Amino acid sequence: MAKTILIVDDSASVRQVVSIALKGAGYEVITANDGKDALSKMSGGQRLHLIISDVNMPNMDGITFVAEAKKLPAYKFTPIIMLTTESQDDKKKQAQAAGAKAWVTKPFQPEQMLSAVSKLVAP
Amino acid sequence: MAELLIGAIALAAGFGAGYLARGRRPSAASLPAAPPDRYAEKVADFAGAVAPVWSAQIDSSRAQMETAISQLTETFAGIVENLDSVLASSAGALAQGQHGSFDRSRDRLGDVVGSLDEALSANHESLNELHSLLGLNEELRSMSGEVTRIAAQTNLLALNAAIEAQRAGAVGASFGVVAMEVRQLADRSQNTSARMVEKVDRVAEAINSVLAAAEASGEREGNAVAHANGEVQAVLDDLMGALSQMQSSSQELERAAIGIRGEISDSLVSLQFQDRVGQMLEHLRDNIARFPEVAATLDSRALLAELSSKYTMAEEHQAHTSQKASKVSESEITFF
Repeated sequence: MAKTILIVDDSASVRQVVSIALKGAGYEVITANDGKDALSKMSGGQRLHLIISDVNMPNMDGITFVAEAKKLPAYKFTPIIMLTTESQDDKKKQAQAAGAKAWVTKPFQPEQMLSAVSKLVAP
Repeated sequence: MAELLIGAIALAAGFGAGYLARGRRPSAASLPAAPPDRYAEKVADFAGAVAPVWSAQIDSSRAQMETAISQLTETFAGIVENLDSVLASSAGALAQGQHGSFDRSRDRLGDVVGSLDEALSANHESLNELHSLLGLNEELRSMSGEVTRIAAQTNLLALNAAIEAQRAGAVGASFGVVAMEVRQLADRSQNTSARMVEKVDRVAEAINSVLAAAEASGEREGNAVAHANGEVQAVLDDLMGALSQMQSSSQELERAAIGIRGEISDSLVSLQFQDRVGQMLEHLRDNIARFPEVAATLDSRALLAELSSKYTMAEEHQAHTSQKASKVSESEITFF
């Protein structure tokens, strides 16, 4: 059965690029526009094998989202990859402290993204 | 259009920021003479008038770009999904055509030809039986001839016996009666034998007639079966040829579709620029919105520091420092 990945990004183009790359590799994909939207979609206890989240987003930023997601028992051990344009080390450290497993900077090549994803969850 | 607009805004912003950064007042030749406090008030008025327009234009450009790129990515993603779907169904249909329909058709036609062969074989057996029957009839004719010959000899023997009985006189009278009876029996045997031969001939004639008709029919059926077999094979060959051609065309289409999919995917990757440029424009818009508040103080450092604090991308920092356009950094992956 295909593994499910949640993509959280306020940019529709980034959501589409990541979706196509992941679907092409055999993953199932769910998308959310920001942290708040993502938490709303996770409230039903949807089984997720991995989360890919942007950092700078409206309504709820990525680091706050990671911290909130880790408070939910169903997603405590779900690996999270931060996908961001952010270059500041302090944001990277904040993400790590919040519970993120990896940090990928944009713009990315699909192969790079898939390589990072496959290290955390096989298709 | 949007690029021109953004360029004009950037030039204007650059001019304003550069002017403020240098901290120089305009020369008397370029501005009308006015007291310093009056000049600052005019600058504030100027900033208050232009900044909202610049911000609105930047915001409008950013929004238009975001909408257009979102639609474009959605369309591209739809094309990629359709291509994936078409590729999957095409491969499935071809596999089904070759290993499903074609194989089933070949097996069913093979069964039909097999049934015809069996019927033909049964006809051959019937013909062989008729030939055997003809042989038995000939044997019957031969046996009838033998009976005729025996009857003739018996007749002759009875005639001799009758002569001898007559010669014996009264003593041989009763023997003569027996001899006469034997002769009559021999005659009846000869007659019966002659009728048998006649019947055997008629049977042989009937069998020969049936045999000739059956042989002619068997030959026609054999030719028909051979023709059907050839036709079935030809149809199967045509079908296989058409299927191979379809497979070849489909593979070409598949290669083209995979190529198009790859190109679209690459184009989508390039469209990530919208996310980055959108953020840059947001930072610039927010900074321009603050321009009227600091214009009266002519404090460029505070405005630029505020702008710098909003940067998220390395190239924003580099462009800020070098005041030149900077290249986008390669993606980096860090595992915690």
